[in-house]
Amino acid sequence: MSLCPSRSALAVAACALWGCSGTAELQMPGGSAPVTLDPTAEVSVSGLRRLSRVELDATLADLLGDTTNAGQRLLPPDSTDPFDNDFRAQLASGALIESIEKVATEAAVRALADPARRATLVPCTAVGPDDAGCLRTVISTFGRRALRRPLTDDEVNRFASLQSLAVEAGDFDLGVKLVVQALLQHPEFIYRVELGTPVDGRDGVFRLSPWELASRLSYFFWGSTPPDWLLDAAGAGQLDSTEGIRLAAAKLLADPKAKARVERFHALWLGYHRLPHPVDLTAALQTESGALVDRVVFDEPGDYFDLFTSSESYLNSTLATHYGVSGFTGAGFAWTPYGDLPRKGLLSHGAVLSAGAKFSDTSPTQRGIFVRTRLLCQDVPPPPPTVNADIAPTAPNSSPCKADRYSAHASTGNCFACHQNLDPIGFGLERFDREGRYRTTDDNLPQCPIAGAGRVVLDGAAMPFSGPVGLADTLIASGRFEGCVVTQLYRFAMGRREAALDSGLIEKLTEQFKTNHRGFTDLMLDLVTDGTFSFRKDE
Amino acid sequence: MSAPFTLHRRAVLKGLGGFTLGLPLLEVMLDGRPAWAQTATPNRYLVFFDGQSLGADNDPVHNLFAPDTVGRNYDLKTALAPLGALKDEVSVISGLKIPTASDNGGAVPAGGRRDDFHVSSLSPLLSGMRSPADTSSAGPTSDQIVAGFLAQSTPFKSLAYRVQADWYLSVSAPYGRDMISYKRDSTGKVVPIPPQTSPSQAFAALFGNFTAPGVDPVAAQRLALEQRARTSVLDLVSGDAERLLPRLGAADKLRMQRHLDELRALELRVKAIAPTQTSTCVKPADPGADPVVGGSQGVDANGDNTYAQNLGYSNEEQRAKVFCDLIHMAMVCDLTRVATLQMTMFQSHLSMYQLTGQATDCHELGHGGVPGGTAAMAKAHAWHVKHFAYLLQKFKDTPEAGGTMLDHLAMAFLLEGGHGYDPGGAKQNSSHSTENMACLLAGRAGGLKPGQHVVKAGLHPASVLITAMKAVGSPTDTLGEVTGVIPELST
Repeated sequence: MSLCPSRSALAVAACALWGCSGTAELQMPGGSAPVTLDPTAEVSVSGLRRLSRVELDATLADLLGDTTNAGQRLLPPDSTDPFDNDFRAQLASGALIESIEKVATEAAVRALADPARRATLVPCTAVGPDDAGCLRTVISTFGRRALRRPLTDDEVNRFASLQSLAVEAGDFDLGVKLVVQALLQHPEFIYRVELGTPVDGRDGVFRLSPWELASRLSYFFWGSTPPDWLLDAAGAGQLDSTEGIRLAAAKLLADPKAKARVERFHALWLGYHRLPHPVDLTAALQTESGALVDRVVFDEPGDYFDLFTSSESYLNSTLATHYGVSGFTGAGFAWTPYGDLPRKGLLSHGAVLSAGAKFSDTSPTQRGIFVRTRLLCQDVPPPPPTVNADIAPTAPNSSPCKADRYSAHASTGNCFACHQNLDPIGFGLERFDREGRYRTTDDNLPQCPIAGAGRVVLDGAAMPFSGPVGLADTLIASGRFEGCVVTQLYRFAMGRREAALDSGLIEKLTEQFKTNHRGFTDLMLDLVTDGTFSFRKDE
Repeated sequence: MSAPFTLHRRAVLKGLGGFTLGLPLLEVMLDGRPAWAQTATPNRYLVFFDGQSLGADNDPVHNLFAPDTVGRNYDLKTALAPLGALKDEVSVISGLKIPTASDNGGAVPAGGRRDDFHVSSLSPLLSGMRSPADTSSAGPTSDQIVAGFLAQSTPFKSLAYRVQADWYLSVSAPYGRDMISYKRDSTGKVVPIPPQTSPSQAFAALFGNFTAPGVDPVAAQRLALEQRARTSVLDLVSGDAERLLPRLGAADKLRMQRHLDELRALELRVKAIAPTQTSTCVKPADPGADPVVGGSQGVDANGDNTYAQNLGYSNEEQRAKVFCDLIHMAMVCDLTRVATLQMTMFQSHLSMYQLTGQATDCHELGHGGVPGGTAAMAKAHAWHVKHFAYLLQKFKDTPEAGGTMLDHLAMAFLLEGGHGYDPGGAKQNSSHSTENMACLLAGRAGGLKPGQHVVKAGLHPASVLITAMKAVGSPTDTLGEVTGVIPELST
């Protein structure tokens, strides 16, 4: 597979400059000015960010060729709300520390047991268990990759002290194993530590070191550790300028790892990284949605909103039957037009429509909350303490029909105040069940027809819509959807929810997103080439 | 105890090799037991947690948990049936209540809870402190207070395990429903202790240090070297974490300090010498790989619930058994004296299908997920009680100091709620209620008298924990904002 994307001019430029092999040297255009901080710009707050389980596994794969997903197997789960990298929710615990030790130890053993991987790790031939030169080579080379910066002599000495145990055991590789074990448990491996240097006249603001910036870039675009070429570029001062950052970012974007990262962003954002369905259906639905994300963002880049308006989808026979697409033939997945079906884009995918089920059915309220929080970036307050949200509403007239039952929200006390902004959104999606299949009556209640009409209230105006097609059109027409896309990406990039101080940057990026015809990779590049991205503010 | 005296070869090697022991040679070799175990038989304290309420919505029957008989030789209803003959070792305390904001004119009273239900009982039930605005505990929980005076230098100050492996809902998160232990960290802040949910990790942490008796000297030397290597690595890592601390901003400093505290704790555990195996302290069988974590619960292609396909289930049956085995042996070997076992989360979405044959989850049982009301709910409690009884039986079967381990044990069983009035929904006979709560207390530490049903109408359930804490040596009769033991429960 070519690492050069087909259409991104920037990436092509990067490939032309660097070639597209992983080891090419950075060749900077002349006269690149260093990034300067606009004195009026707010700098984003950042803190210690522990690698998420998925990031840890990607990092171990890149560092050691270890693809056992040890982090996801052994570490306590990350909280996902909806992103898995909120550093303010990360909590060191005894269970975490024990698991990290186990991951580090097992990964070191596996790396040394495989001759090819050992050769990468140990680029020298040890003349004996006490070969200090060879072990120091391992420490400096693997240490730089693991800690994502060069090690000081003092640090190399500290790691080298572990060699005495190797000498005692008469086994050079024991020293290597302990060095790897120590590096993989090291605080600067487990956390992305940004120290930087203080900026004159800006209290609590720091300019990131080039190494810290390289990590920011690679974890944003790849969810993994910086490759050697990026560390080389950092060491050569080539990430000091906006041009250098842009070229490095474009090169990162041109790698398949960026696709996986962007897919994961969407899966977390829209809640389909895990689905409450049998394995086969779950896999098919995730493939379908991932494929559309890939296509719109990378393979045929254009207007990002194609993601929500695409008239075809990547289906196999299971999904074609599931959605009622007629005439599907073929063994595997293929791009298939929806034809006359009331579907288009990601919101009509079963993966996304699985969100917000409750009481063994779709919940119009939960779907309303989903649309408001995930697609409109609005906060929905929790139900007041006087409400028992664990009990399904019952109709005043004892009707079993869902529309009648949920009408209780409109007639009971002050429920209406909140539910009027939630339930009607969900009712607009009611013709799609909790797996995204089409229906015209309530489940098992043929006497209860589903109208399928909904409305979403935006800025005080009620916008009627029907189905995921209508919802997508309404969101796009509202002019507010771009801002929420940018906000969600910002949360994922920074590992936290935005604060008031971030609104200036988010608004600026949103304007650029609109101006750039909503190119998603352009948005990612705009984020990292903004002057403030090379800086951090203390929490 | 009639265990034969055997000097562990590894202890000999260690003693002779002069490795880092943290203990003088003689002390280690006194009777083959580590120094922390040289005192009188220690007390043990255990909290078992069932994250459900006792009854189901709209059923006038509050529970099938509390016996009709008051006093000794009580009758066993559905939920307690698994106790069988063990009921003589278990007291039932019923009629308990956590007061609510509604009881107090709208303000959460001392030791009380907010009117909204799920998780609001966590803080008063486990720490005796009124529930805060969020889903955390306002104070340290009883297990951590007890660990403060009971743990001394045991390798594990306390154990925190959870059986339910996952939240099992796809678009939400547990928000604090997944933890029942809170401590004060080194900065004085009350922070949760996220439980270990991996039985294999728990096994490795507790018993990874153990060597089989009779291991040959070469192998013993190799194992000793491995242990030293492990501590050297941890020492290097925590040294670097310490070096990093002064360079961090205030918020990051707290995060790294917390990480460092846990690293140091692990280092101490690794350095601790594994106790000599005796007739009772024996390395348990390796539980093997953890059962696969099941997917989120949902529906199949026909729209039917897919509990049978292991969605919402990760073999919690096996997980519960392994955790009980590990807790028991960790206490036999005096690796720890305090443990919490959270069987299920608050508002648990664990599938019941594999455990009781009911095609619904734990939480929905309280809200009519299957017909049967409180009787259906009681079957889920019986599953929890079965494992409580399993662990209790193991303590009863373990001889110690001329009696059994029960003589030095206080083990409580708590639930999220009771059944009755729900001030949030203004409904009677609701599962969202902390009226008519009930607890179990087993063990004979400090003069506890198990085997009775005691009715304490309106008393705070934290009183049961206070009684248990007092029995294992608490100097006070207070937990958070709740004061007073239940005198009938002890001599």
